[in-house]
Amino acid sequence: MLALPRWMPRLAFAPPKTAPRGDALVCVFLRGAADVLNMVVPHGDDSYYTLRPTLAIARPDDRRTTQALRATDLDGFFGLHPALAPLLSLWQRRELAIVHACGAPDESRSHFAAMDLVERGVSTGAGPPSGWIGRHLAAHDTGNQSPLRAIGIGEATQRALYGPVNAAALTSIADFHLGGSGREDAAFARALAGLYESDAVLASGGRATIELLSLLERLAPGRTLAGGGAIYPAGDFGTGLAQIARLIVAEVGLEAACIDLGGWDTHVAQGGGEGLMARLLADLAGGLAAMRTDLGDALARTTVVVMSEFGRRAGENGGLGTDHGHGSMMMVIGGGVRGGRVYGAWPGLSRERLVGPGDLAVTTDYRDVLGEVVLRRLGNSRLDLVFPDYAPALVELCAPL
Amino acid sequence: MPLSRRSFLAAMLASGALAACAPVREQLASGRVAAPPPSVDGQIWRALSRLTFAPHPAERERAAAIGLAGWVEEQLTPERLGDAELAWRLQGVPSLSVDVSSIYEASEADIIADLRRATLLRAIYSRRQLYELMVDFWSDHFSISVAKGDGGWLKLLDDRDVVRPHALGSFRDLLWASMSSPAMLGYLDNQQNRAGSPNENYARELLELHTLGVTAGYTQRDVQEVARCLTGWGVGDGPFRGQQRFDAAAHDDGPKSLLGAAVAAGGGARDPALLCEILLAHPATPRFIAAKLVRRFVGPGQSALEASAAAVFAQTGGDIRATMRGVLLGPEQDAAPPRLKRPLQLVAGALRQLDAETDAGPELIGHLARMGQPLFAWPTPDGFPEHDTAWSGALLQRWQFALALADGTIPGVTIDLRRLAARAGGDGPDAALDGLATLLHGAPPTPEIRRVLLETAVQHTAEDGLPLALALLLAAPAYQWR
Repeated sequence: MLALPRWMPRLAFAPPKTAPRGDALVCVFLRGAADVLNMVVPHGDDSYYTLRPTLAIARPDDRRTTQALRATDLDGFFGLHPALAPLLSLWQRRELAIVHACGAPDESRSHFAAMDLVERGVSTGAGPPSGWIGRHLAAHDTGNQSPLRAIGIGEATQRALYGPVNAAALTSIADFHLGGSGREDAAFARALAGLYESDAVLASGGRATIELLSLLERLAPGRTLAGGGAIYPAGDFGTGLAQIARLIVAEVGLEAACIDLGGWDTHVAQGGGEGLMARLLADLAGGLAAMRTDLGDALARTTVVVMSEFGRRAGENGGLGTDHGHGSMMMVIGGGVRGGRVYGAWPGLSRERLVGPGDLAVTTDYRDVLGEVVLRRLGNSRLDLVFPDYAPALVELCAPL
Repeated sequence: MPLSRRSFLAAMLASGALAACAPVREQLASGRVAAPPPSVDGQIWRALSRLTFAPHPAERERAAAIGLAGWVEEQLTPERLGDAELAWRLQGVPSLSVDVSSIYEASEADIIADLRRATLLRAIYSRRQLYELMVDFWSDHFSISVAKGDGGWLKLLDDRDVVRPHALGSFRDLLWASMSSPAMLGYLDNQQNRAGSPNENYARELLELHTLGVTAGYTQRDVQEVARCLTGWGVGDGPFRGQQRFDAAAHDDGPKSLLGAAVAAGGGARDPALLCEILLAHPATPRFIAAKLVRRFVGPGQSALEASAAAVFAQTGGDIRATMRGVLLGPEQDAAPPRLKRPLQLVAGALRQLDAETDAGPELIGHLARMGQPLFAWPTPDGFPEHDTAWSGALLQRWQFALALADGTIPGVTIDLRRLAARAGGDGPDAALDGLATLLHGAPPTPEIRRVLLETAVQHTAEDGLPLALALLLAAPAYQWR
């Protein structure tokens, strides 16, 4: 690890007379339609317990269940799944806001159709093929030429990042080298730079990859970046969050990062206070809490959004799991977030309030949340370009920059 | 001061790395060194690039001899193409013939490794290239991840008993085999789908991904009715673990109504078969399957070809071979823009063209995973993505593979670079580069690539100049397209 003066990257990447750079945006996507009713538990809604005789998370004061398996009360009506306990300190410091019964209008209940629409930020299959973050970056020229301006953790960038601004797919900084001898690598990269310039499709990706190789070589020759000492859960998700946090702290020009956590399609045996889904939640909450620790003061210029493509059926199915539903939930974490509060109107879970085959209704469009983040935390007022077929209404969950 | 191009290559050839290699001399003396790759016209090269993992000189010779249409026809009847070399190589993968009653005696990790090994060996060494690409297509269409449940064991059986027997056969047989596949029923939770407590997972994906497509206009109610037809249709346990099983007690035997068709009460175990017929008869199914085939084998934006392929599919009752004949032999194939190679095509194609020897072990599989294609482990049931943009983010990982392959640092993979260069002929030092480029790119290097190759290689000693040139040919943008 080479300690670089902090100002250097920012000096290198922030020319004058461009739009001010807002927060670094971290978008966490829970792939597979997370069962949000067991994440932020409506323990004040009796229908929840009627619909989920086996899977429901016990009320915070339910003495029949051991405390470790009960929800932790947030506001007298909602409670957090016990495996999300690492997020409680963020909630108490008002760094975490929750928007419940939040989601997209699409009712296909198809993972793939829904993810496509949500990541593009559009209401129908028509509309631009680019992603909402990609359009935000294109519409908001911060003069930032960093090859790390936008990254997607994984082998491919997430659809939300698609657009004219190149986003780098990054699995791990430690693996981001060519792997040959140093001398051979340098010659190889130089030659590739020439070859890729003339490929209409791959030129920008090739150029960005070579710039990133060179940047990381200067920034962290041993391919390690210092963190704040936080312990992340083992696995790709924790590793990815650690990379993001360290890149934000290192001020290398990161404006948007996407990361996925999969495995939420819990049709069978999802478990309650413990089990399959509880393990995913521990991964999610442990990772987010560790990232918050690593960010330290940089939380003031970071906004994290946690979302999924839709929610799951309000009632449990015969396999002790839940089928595809509708309304979801979003979490927003950051220094500029008015946290410690559950936003959004609660539609209720009584039979007449459920939609379709028995699903939570959507009372807040997910773009109301994202739109406010784009406007107030990223400093981009061109919401018409970011969400071309929807006019977001503010939820008032963020402070202006 | 840099050496001139000719003197550099002459030095390289004379250095002992190339010309003085004893095995090459022996082969030259015995006349066993293959001729340089035949030059074929651009149309044949483009077609072969699409219809193989990457064109080997043997395919180019064959296509030049019998014409492209004849070559396609030959590939469409793979059972007539002898594949003895592959069969010999697959003898090293004994679990391919194991049956469900004994498969659980092996470890799941070993079975997964064997399935991946066999898949890669077939892609590299089989003469039935189009057939293997069809298997790859259906493996995505009926995608099953080995990471869930018993998938690690059962996907090997699904590959052998469902996908491979029908990959160029009848879609009716293929769909029914998949609907009866323990791997699929387990993967999409249908063993949990019981009367009174339905599980919609398989029902929904059967409509959305396997037959009608998400835009066909079916409703949530249709999904629920399909799920009812499939209640009790699952996988056994205990001594019957991994076997398809119908549990009459768990079957919802009431009347069902779906997609405008009726399923009478009392159908029992016949309900899934009736459902299969309803799905096959639905007009959205030919359109959906044909469009997917066209997108994979020709490209996007071919609505006329999609329509004609759908018509053939419908008229022939789902004859995959007949549908593919129209897709492959139309004028669209030659005019279609290039597609980005998927990682399996890049890796298997490079090894194929370079006559590599490999056991297709975990190191090679690891390269595929890092490029975004961990074989049989795509996490969601839609299969590895079709559009090019999904694959263009992992350039670094492609470059890492190119460098490692050319440097000979991938365990379990060897290439004889000197022999490949020598095969290009002895007419002059430039022949090594010309030969390698023609082998991989279908033509001698463009002046630009030649300049870059020479400038780069000149900075190196003779020993590592040729591997670096090969790495660049493999990592060049031109080699990422097909």
